Amino acid sequence: MMYRLPPRNDEWIDRTQSIAFTFEGRHHEGFAGDTITSALAAAGVMILGRSFKYHRPRGILSFANHDVNGMFQIGGVPNIRGDVTALAAGMDVLAVNTIGGLSNDRARWMDRLGRFLPVGFYYKAFNSKRFFPRWERLIREMSGLGRIALDAPHVRTPKRYAFCDVLVIGGGSAGVSAANAAADTGAKVLLVDESARVASLDTRVEVLAGSYVAGVYADRWAAVIEPHRMTKVRAGAIVFATGAIEQPIPFHDNDLPGILIASAAQRLLRRHAVAVGSKVVVITSTLGGYEAAVELLDAGIDVTHVVDLNENPVGADLIAQRGVKSFAGIRSLAAEANSAGCVAAIRIGDRRIECDAVLMSGGWAAATQLLLHVGGKVTFDERTQMHLPSELPEGCFVAGRINGTFDDEKARIEGEVAGNTAAAFAANPASSRSGQPTGKPVGQMALNPIVLLPCDPRGKDFIDFDEDLQVKDIENAIQEGFDSIELLKRYTTVGMGPSQGKHSNLNAARILAHQRGLTLNDVGLTTARPMYHPVPMKHLAGRGFTPERATPIEQRHRGAGAVWMLAGNWRRPEYYARADESREQSIAREVAAVRNAVGLIDVGTLGKIEVYGPDAGLFLDRAYAGRYSDLKVGTTRYGLLLDEAGTIVDDGVIARLHEQCYYFTTTTGGSAGVYRELLRLNALWGLNCSLVNVTGHRAAFNLAGPRSRELLSAMTSVNLNEGAFPYLGVREGIVGGASARLLRVGFVGELGYEIHVPYSAAAHVWDLLLEYGRKFDLCLFGVEAQRVLRLEKGHFIIGQDTDGLTNPFDARAVWAIRMQKPFFVGQRSLRILGQRNPRQVLVGFEIAASVPALKECHLAIQDGEIAGRVTSVAYSTTLGKTIGLAMVQPALADVGTTLKFRVTDGSMVAATVCPTPFYDRDNQRQKQGVAA
Amino acid sequence: MSAATLQQVTHLARIGLKGPNAAAWLRQQGIAVPERANSWCVTNEDEQNICVRLGSAEFFLEQTDGNVLRRLNAELATYLPGVYPVLREDCAVLLSGAGADEVLAQLCNVNFAALRTEAREAVMTLMIGVAVTVVPQGNAAHRRYRIWCDPSYGDYLWSSLQDVVQPDPVDTTRDLGGIR
Repeated sequence: MMYRLPPRNDEWIDRTQSIAFTFEGRHHEGFAGDTITSALAAAGVMILGRSFKYHRPRGILSFANHDVNGMFQIGGVPNIRGDVTALAAGMDVLAVNTIGGLSNDRARWMDRLGRFLPVGFYYKAFNSKRFFPRWERLIREMSGLGRIALDAPHVRTPKRYAFCDVLVIGGGSAGVSAANAAADTGAKVLLVDESARVASLDTRVEVLAGSYVAGVYADRWAAVIEPHRMTKVRAGAIVFATGAIEQPIPFHDNDLPGILIASAAQRLLRRHAVAVGSKVVVITSTLGGYEAAVELLDAGIDVTHVVDLNENPVGADLIAQRGVKSFAGIRSLAAEANSAGCVAAIRIGDRRIECDAVLMSGGWAAATQLLLHVGGKVTFDERTQMHLPSELPEGCFVAGRINGTFDDEKARIEGEVAGNTAAAFAANPASSRSGQPTGKPVGQMALNPIVLLPCDPRGKDFIDFDEDLQVKDIENAIQEGFDSIELLKRYTTVGMGPSQGKHSNLNAARILAHQRGLTLNDVGLTTARPMYHPVPMKHLAGRGFTPERATPIEQRHRGAGAVWMLAGNWRRPEYYARADESREQSIAREVAAVRNAVGLIDVGTLGKIEVYGPDAGLFLDRAYAGRYSDLKVGTTRYGLLLDEAGTIVDDGVIARLHEQCYYFTTTTGGSAGVYRELLRLNALWGLNCSLVNVTGHRAAFNLAGPRSRELLSAMTSVNLNEGAFPYLGVREGIVGGASARLLRVGFVGELGYEIHVPYSAAAHVWDLLLEYGRKFDLCLFGVEAQRVLRLEKGHFIIGQDTDGLTNPFDARAVWAIRMQKPFFVGQRSLRILGQRNPRQVLVGFEIAASVPALKECHLAIQDGEIAGRVTSVAYSTTLGKTIGLAMVQPALADVGTTLKFRVTDGSMVAATVCPTPFYDRDNQRQKQGVAA
Repeated sequence: MSAATLQQVTHLARIGLKGPNAAAWLRQQGIAVPERANSWCVTNEDEQNICVRLGSAEFFLEQTDGNVLRRLNAELATYLPGVYPVLREDCAVLLSGAGADEVLAQLCNVNFAALRTEAREAVMTLMIGVAVTVVPQGNAAHRRYRIWCDPSYGDYLWSSLQDVVQPDPVDTTRDLGGIR
């Protein structure tokens, strides 16, 4: 049983501060400076949790910040790593993955079903679609870790950026030495270590203790997880002093509580004065096991036996005079449990050795994962029996155990060299070089090859403690053909648990190499990807930032009962709700107001761009499909923007304000992309003109309806008479006291004016329009009414009625292109496309009745085959019928053709192809206006 | 986190212009012009009255008194050759205090703390997804940042800044942006 020793030098605990907590409902006490796991160990609690698949009792394994056996649930927070989480007063700690508590886990019978759950069993057994959901629920219930509390309070976790010259990852001898050396050069140094304490650091070094680097990315970006935030660090250079991870030894029942990795026992002793037992056996392949034995002996802990798997023990002389019995070249090994389920003995062949703790030292794996994230390369080194860095990315350096250097003094020197080199690189990347590790491995730990015991026929010789994988699982997978390291990982899930293979990948690779007769270099390692340690989801989510744009009228829309919809990152009123109306009734009311009186819509979300200069017209001629150099000042023209393939990408209205100034609109969603593309084209063509994007700086409203002229004329200096300001005209003047641009356009098919004013004047002008509009029955209308109104006019909407392949021939918009121009974007493709029959054609259709079941994207079916799709459909109260646009095969495009659409319930709806516009075919209402 | 203060300064007057003759025209008007792109200079003694050069041929000016800018804007509206007006209705924010750098560190990946104010740099970057122009002012002891963005993002940027800055910000908005 584990217990607390008398006070020791340099221990991390403060014995004057007791901390009370509970584990599985039982009261315990630890000290300030304890972690949850160390406090439980000191209290003699051997079983910390249940394993992932078999629900076997588990105790401390690695105590190295990634101990999957020591994960806990505290309140609503699952999967708290107990080996690194500081103990706090009042903690109510529970084990994870139990049904009914740790000691009475009702799922512990799973352990007896092990032989029915071979590797990849779910691939083989649960491949029926019918039963899979049931099995999935069952598996999720029976396996796993903690439980998420869905009612947990919303906590916002900040993210921040930080910058340093040198980032040092790891606060051991090498890391501290590197940080101090770099700081001595004047570099700004940041050191990150997950331990609560980092010793002997220069005060100029900024230390993030209790934090870890979860991932390293290109250009030396590192994601540092601090307890209450994530910091994205941009470093000039990085020193990886991440150390090495001691590996377990697979043998029968090597997961019994009381069996742990040797360095875990050393950490418990040094930091928390915890003895792992009173009768300890060490099983080792390396010098590390002997060193651990000596350290425990020096602390007064009885180490009775050292069992070396090698024929030639490398550390026998260390224990020769300490009264420890030793065995070498052992090939048969098993553990035995007591009635509590903890280790009681080790059996070597027929020999039984009683003990209450077993330390495993199965070699070391260099902690190269973070280095590999950023493109480092490793090679297996036979002398150290580790994969050591062989190629370093630019600006990255290594020192200490990661480099195979176990000797403290040598690691310190290596750290100093790495720190100096990193600082020099950060100061002047061009003059420094990296690419190779800073030195050859020195003070190597392993001198003998690491020995793997043969697979135990009884199993339960665990390779991966996260995923409950045994040696036979790995061997079976290899025999089934999953014999590459990546396939093996995916089939067995080795290395895919919370510890990400830190204590399983190397042993799995060793088995694969042994089975296939390959070297470990041939086998390789699986790709290391972030995150290095488990990261709380709240850290990844962080504080929520979702850019939203608002027109200056947003508050007024809200006051008017707007029901919102998203258009790109704008919020727009879909319609204005009234208490006594349904959605459809509100939209119909708004449509009727525009048709019969006057309506007002906020169209400030449209892209608004100006182009100035002597070549402004030429630029637009080249960018857009129409001609604009001949546009008269004071007039507008429709603009269709194509890409090189001749596909329609955007449209708008282009107005000429001056010989050298055009003002044009784009679609709401397209404004940023169009502006960017036009800037690119302008830079490419080198014309004498400049573009200005005023999308957000200028508000815009569309005042439309038979009474719009009357209303507007009351508040503007611009002469609105038909002769002075005809259809498709543009004028600049004063509206409601603000400098305004007025465009006479007819998207909704009525006499109408787009009023463009500066953002700061918009609210005032809007208010005036509403005030003046009262006597004209002015009605606000939203996006949905506008869609119906434009559909009645047969106008298509880019991205709704067109798709990523639609060209002007498909959309029947040939009238908007001027092929005789010398050049425009997409012209060459259109010449080719013009020689071919269109792939599809946009047609109008009508149905005499209201058909609510017919929706956009419903398919047109002809002879059992897909022949098109509905792109827009609505019931027009104006026309008293359902109207729509559909993209159909050319053979179905003739007026009078019957289209058959399949609606959601599978039934067919018949519609008749008809000419567009559906409403006011000769456009008299928008051109001339009509008497209201 | 050290204290930081937010202030809405959208009410300040500002104009923008660009074009091949923009720099020369400004000089003709007696306006000091930064020599480098992405830098700024004061147009009188006060750091509130500045001219920012956003590229080789684009400028914007901000002043506490709108009279001069109003006059310039009237001239710009006459379509001068090679000098084109740029409507600037920005949302403008002043961030100051010892915690200002930490606030920016939570919102933007530019290392503002490393910028020397005497270099008078103007930074155009993305802040929480919004295109902004940032000008560091003051000195090492009393640093402040002036931030401009498209007004349609104004509410979002302001509320996000508020969310990070504690305690409550100071709102001195008198009215909306543009030239007064």
